[in-house]
Amino acid sequence: MKKSTPYLLLAPALLFTVFVLVYPLFQNLMNSFRDVSLVMGDRGWAGVRNYSSIFIDSLFWLCFRNTVVYAVVGTLLALLIGLGFALLLNIKIGRFNHLAAALYILPWVISPVVAGFAWKWLLNDNFGILNHWLSSAGIVKEGLPWLGDPRTALLCVIVARVWQFYPFAMVMFLAGLQAIPLEQYEAASVDGASAVTRFFHITLPNLRSVGSVLLLLGVIWSFNDFNMVFVMTRGGPINASMVLPVLVREFSFVYFDLGKGSALSVLIFAMLLCLSFLYLKVLSRRESA
Amino acid sequence: MKNKIFIAFLLCLILLSCGKKDDVVEIQDWNFGGMPKLMEWLRQRVNSFEKGRPGVRVVQSQKSWNMIRELLYADFSAGTGPDVVNVHANYAAEFGGAGHFYPLNNFPDFEQVRKWYVPHLLESTRYKQDYFGLPSSGIAFVLVCNKELFDEEGIAPPKTWSQFREAARRLTKDTDGDGTADQHGLVLLGGDRGGFAYRLAPFLYKAGVNIMSEDLTKIEFNSPVGIATVKLFADMYQVDHSITPGFLAYTLSEMNDVFCSNKVAMSIEGPWFRGMVREKSPGKEFYTVPVPVPDDMLDQYDTAPTLQDMVMYSISARSKHLNEAWELVKYLRNEEADMAWIQNDMGAIATTTSALSSPEAKSIRDLPMYINELNHARPWPSHPNIIAIANNVIAPYCQKAIVGELSPKAAMDQAAEEARRIIEGKK
Repeated sequence: MKKSTPYLLLAPALLFTVFVLVYPLFQNLMNSFRDVSLVMGDRGWAGVRNYSSIFIDSLFWLCFRNTVVYAVVGTLLALLIGLGFALLLNIKIGRFNHLAAALYILPWVISPVVAGFAWKWLLNDNFGILNHWLSSAGIVKEGLPWLGDPRTALLCVIVARVWQFYPFAMVMFLAGLQAIPLEQYEAASVDGASAVTRFFHITLPNLRSVGSVLLLLGVIWSFNDFNMVFVMTRGGPINASMVLPVLVREFSFVYFDLGKGSALSVLIFAMLLCLSFLYLKVLSRRESA
Repeated sequence: MKNKIFIAFLLCLILLSCGKKDDVVEIQDWNFGGMPKLMEWLRQRVNSFEKGRPGVRVVQSQKSWNMIRELLYADFSAGTGPDVVNVHANYAAEFGGAGHFYPLNNFPDFEQVRKWYVPHLLESTRYKQDYFGLPSSGIAFVLVCNKELFDEEGIAPPKTWSQFREAARRLTKDTDGDGTADQHGLVLLGGDRGGFAYRLAPFLYKAGVNIMSEDLTKIEFNSPVGIATVKLFADMYQVDHSITPGFLAYTLSEMNDVFCSNKVAMSIEGPWFRGMVREKSPGKEFYTVPVPVPDDMLDQYDTAPTLQDMVMYSISARSKHLNEAWELVKYLRNEEADMAWIQNDMGAIATTTSALSSPEAKSIRDLPMYINELNHARPWPSHPNIIAIANNVIAPYCQKAIVGELSPKAAMDQAAEEARRIIEGKK
């Protein structure tokens, strides 16, 4: 085999990557330093003006806060629920486990757009099933405008995100649980440890590395999540559930300010890059352990 | 041998693909929005156009009404886009002014063609001296009142702001006796900023508010009457609780749902609403009346302007087939074609003088009221930034005022300041 053969074989894939990944990233980075508008065209070099205008924009800070809440709270809740279901599924009770696992994993395989629309209807103030249940149970008298109230809109989107992410956490935790040597539990039982003690001293420490990987992955994916928020609320009402990816769209395709939109997407990219490095570090520590 | 056959086959394919293109002219026609009946009619009309012109092929694409600006700007900035497109007439200033639309008055027979249309409707397609579209689908914003609920309460559709507020208050009810209102007086389209601005503007116009000065250099919507208009809605929401609490999340479909299910008594709509209601709730009756005016303007109830909206057919300035595109636009919008707006419910009003004065037009319900409103209606000011101002400034600030995040005065003043920066090119 010639020395050049591997490179030749790699070339198509590399070229494809350059065209669909490297070039757009580079173009986006360039745009972030230029005054580019879909309406006015490219009006030349802007230096760091796009970035500075983002940092003095109160909407950016509101969206940053919303994104952090959406990503961290959503992921933590999904992890807790995923862990709960994984513990339940880890109790072997015949074929029911397979059926339950299949049912629990359903939200993960549903497209976020479809899920978003489904949640939008579930939460509809007049015809939604949630309000119907709540009023039937006497908890509320009339339907609450879940998505129309700035105080509850972000919470609703987080709930939908938790619903979609918990199955992944469940599967990962289940795999982690099944990898814990039974001997540890047996030894603890012999020493008289209660179920709670076993959970906190054997199960949780063994799941720590899975949990940290899941936490980072969940935060990264949520930080980047556009579909669920856009379908359910479009960032409304009155920006109450606006997150950074939706704000990129606002800047680029509502205000047609591609320069500012690009600058914001570069900032999101930088934040995600930091999280990704952290993720890789955790992963390598886990592998070495 | 097999290899030779394969190579010969490949060569044949290459030669065939390098063959001379046919001489057919291809016109890209983008159609934004529209009711199913209108889309079907367009398909048939284009087929008939192609049959009469074997050398022209029309490729139709259906696009989302809410994505007009995004799609057009994205395509125009890339040097692509349609030859023919139907858009809001307000875009004459924005896209025509930026050189994206071709001035139709450059065609030699334009003077003949312009005589087809109601003059002030055609004027809506003009920016400075050029006409950038042929009118299609006239729209006047009106108030629709749920007949069943109004009759039950024994009240007539409101004409003044006091009557409007009182009607909304009386029609906000706890119908199941659980202590909370489950029927509301008014619904607003809060989930779509553009749609919200288009429903607020009729009230501003009817009250005599100018969005901008005549010479389009000043912002004027934060006048005392403009602030009073927003205060009317803020009071209805915060004090009377007569506007649906979840309106900020509502799209057109949800508004239609609450209206058809008698959960709401009034909505600000246009000629498309009858078809939407018929589809959801056949046989449902409603009053279609002009938007109420301030109490001291009762004498101008049906002469004060509402918001006029209209669709127009435009031609891209980049089209390589301007003449064929012009032929298509005329064919889609000539007097004969416009009769389809009289014979069918297309969700809008015809725009040619002959169709509107035809004997068939006299039998159409609500048409005289719509024609009267259209005769007095005003479009958005003809400024290239007006849609950006309406959607991205007026709507969000007024929503904040209605739900109480800002006072009406603060909201209108802040919106005016932001709009001023936009027209001065500072934002």
